[in-house]
Parts: sequence; C-alpha cells; structure tokens
Amino acid sequence: MMNVALKWAGWIILCVILQSTLVPYIAVMSCKPDLPIVALFYLSLRLGVMPGVYVGFFLGLGQDLFSQSVLGQIALAKSVAGFVAGLFNERVVRLDPITRGALLIAVFVLNDAIVMLVQIVKSDGSAGMFFTELLMVTLPRALYSLVFAAIPLVWVNVVKPHRLID
Amino acid sequence: MRVLIDLIVRHRNGCSLLLTVILSVVMIAVRPEAQAKIARALSMSIFYPAYIAVSQVPMYTGLYSENKRLRQELTEINTRLQVFRELEAENARLRGLVGFAERTLYTLVPARVVARDPSPQYRSVIVNGGRAQGVEMYMPVVGERGAAGKVVQVLDGMSMVQLLRDPSSRTSVMVSRSRTVGILQTENGRDFFVRLRSHEDVRGQDTIVTSGLGGIFPKGLSVGFVKKIDDGNPLFKRAYIDFSIDFDKLEEVFVVRLPPLWAAQRAELDQVKTGK
Repeated sequence: MMNVALKWAGWIILCVILQSTLVPYIAVMSCKPDLPIVALFYLSLRLGVMPGVYVGFFLGLGQDLFSQSVLGQIALAKSVAGFVAGLFNERVVRLDPITRGALLIAVFVLNDAIVMLVQIVKSDGSAGMFFTELLMVTLPRALYSLVFAAIPLVWVNVVKPHRLID
Repeated sequence: MRVLIDLIVRHRNGCSLLLTVILSVVMIAVRPEAQAKIARALSMSIFYPAYIAVSQVPMYTGLYSENKRLRQELTEINTRLQVFRELEAENARLRGLVGFAERTLYTLVPARVVARDPSPQYRSVIVNGGRAQGVEMYMPVVGERGAAGKVVQVLDGMSMVQLLRDPSSRTSVMVSRSRTVGILQTENGRDFFVRLRSHEDVRGQDTIVTSGLGGIFPKGLSVGFVKKIDDGNPLFKRAYIDFSIDFDKLEEVFVVRLPPLWAAQRAELDQVKTGK
C-alpha cells in the first residue's frame, strides 16, 4: 500500500515539475498540455474514486496556491474530475484505449467547465464565451494532453505487454 | 451516530466528493482577505515542502537563460578587454615614440600606418600624414628604434613611404664603430647586407647607422645590427644585417621634416642633368 502511494506521489510530483519546467517550452500557439490532470486521470482509473477525489483536491489546491487563481477553484474542479475518472476505475470496468482517450477528454472538459463556471460566478461575468472557450481552448488542450496520455498506454500495451498480466 | 458512520462508510465515495466540494466551495465563497489567510496558512503548513520545491523551479529554469546572458556578457567583456589591451600596447608604443621625439633634434610629424603593400615582403606603407601636415617628398621616416624609410609620394592627407627593405631602395649606411661607409642592398629581397671592401673593419653585432651621405637620411640613425659576415670574396665582403625596426609590426612612425640636402640645389642639379 505504502509502495503504491509513494509510486503515485512520485508520478504526480514529476508531472507537476514537468508542467512548470518543460511544458512552457512545448506549447503550440499557447496551447499547453495539462500533465497533472493526466496523472490524476490514470491514478483514478487505477486506484478508484476516493484516492482520485482526495488527490484531485490536494493537487488542485496546490495549483490554486501557486497559480494566483481563486482559492478552491481548481481544487473543486480536480476533485470532481478525479471522482468522475474514478467511477471508471479498473476494478469496475476495463476500458479499451480509445474509450480511455474519450474519457480523458470528457474529464478535461468537465475540469475546465467547472473552473470557468467558478470564474464566471466569482467575477459576475457573462456566460457568453463559455462554450467558445471550451471549444477553442479546452478541446485543443485536451487533445494535446492526449498525446502525453498515450505514452503510458503505448508503454504498457506495446513496449511491455507482459505488464497486463500483473 | 452509528447509523451516520455506517452511512458514510457505505457511501464513502460520495461523501469524499461532498467533503471536498464543500471545502472547495467554502474557500471559493469566502472574502478575498480570508482566502489570502487560508492560502498563507496552507502554504506554510501542508504545502510548505511543495512551496519550497516549486519556488526553486524558476531558479533552475532560469539557469539556461542566465547562462546565455552571462556568456554574452563575458564575450562583451573579453572583447572590451582585448580593446583595452590593444590600447595599452599602443600607449606603450606611443610613450616610446614620445621619448624618441623628445630625444631627437628634428621636427617630427607623427603618422600612423594606415595601409601596407599587400605583398608578403611588403615594401611600402601608406601613412596618414601628407602635404597638409608639412610632409614633402624624400623626407626620411623613422620609427622608435631608427630609420624606417623615405617618403616617395605625397598627397594632401597621406603619403607613401618606401621602406628600407625595398630592394630598389639604396641607402648609404656606415658601421657605427669603425665609420666605414657602404650601401645597404639585397639580392633576393630578404637578406640585406652592406657591401664593403675586404680590408674594411666590420664585426658581428656592430651597429649600422645612416651615413648622411645620401642626402635624405640624417647621419646616425640606427639601421640595424650585423648578424653575419660573408668574406668569401677576396675583394669584397658582405655584412648581413638585422634591421633595428620590425617592419612587420610597424604601426606608428614619424616623418622627419628634413628636406633632402640637395633640395635647395634641385634646379641647378636638373640643369646639370639636362646639360642646359
């Protein structure tokens, strides 16, 4: 149990570090992949709802603290994202890679939708740009992140297929 | 109470989400000042290690750009240092020239070498002193260590100086110690020698100076030092010399404002030459 926790903590920390160091350099037209949410997605799929919710909450809270956003905004979004991804965890259902990809995009959209809604509510802004933002910002970001999300899938299914037996 | 705990355990997933959502909403809903307090408390407690780690990240991500900037600065500083060294060396040379100028009895026009004959054994240089500075044809040109050449062409702001090591240049010189006079000449353009009669007194390391007989160079300007004597011929011997001046490094010179001795008699000489 401890080993699993340490392993996932290591992955999440690695993703957070890469997010703040490497990702700015690989942005395409200011579209950056979101590696922490990819890590959270895989954690939720592997470990289930509760770890997904709590890790999502603290991961989001950490991002709130360091990103000057409204405190609790990303924590709320990541908690819900972890919850939704956790509902499809491997103990309940085994998803094929394409469905996983679609689920990741859905989690992305959900995460960003919550962040934007909180933003709209807090700033008394209009919801006019909500769907445009989702289409123009969230979707490209989700697709770009999908490239990175595919790496563990390729690793497990192609490079080391025996891992599936574990 | 027991029922409540059973309910929470049974719906732990939903309760977990509810708990985090409530916490998040509370944090979102509070006033900005309260948010700042919560953020400060979280930063200084459970997120402190992460805060420290993340605060180090910009330092390391900035290393590349900082390294690049420092390299650029280093290059600029090195370039400036080279310029300063060049100026220092020039300063030292000019100090030497000033010392020479103070020692000499002649009126000197300082000039800088601005161009050289592109041939490997360059025979002439262009200096940035001309008619406007009082330079005239056939005026001798000297460096810090002795005679360098003579002016063979004058324009308003620059002059061409034929160096002593031009094979076509014939300079009357003498051995400083024995006062033996000869002509400085060369056969291959590289090795210069003074041709003397076989009985005349010359030794290795003797100083060769201008004799003053050619009418251009004043007497006594250092030309070079005897490095080798070839006395194979029964009638003549050759005293090969090293020039006092390093022509390859000639940068600043003085034109001696001393018209040729025969300048005053130029008209009469021309008459003799033409037979009129």
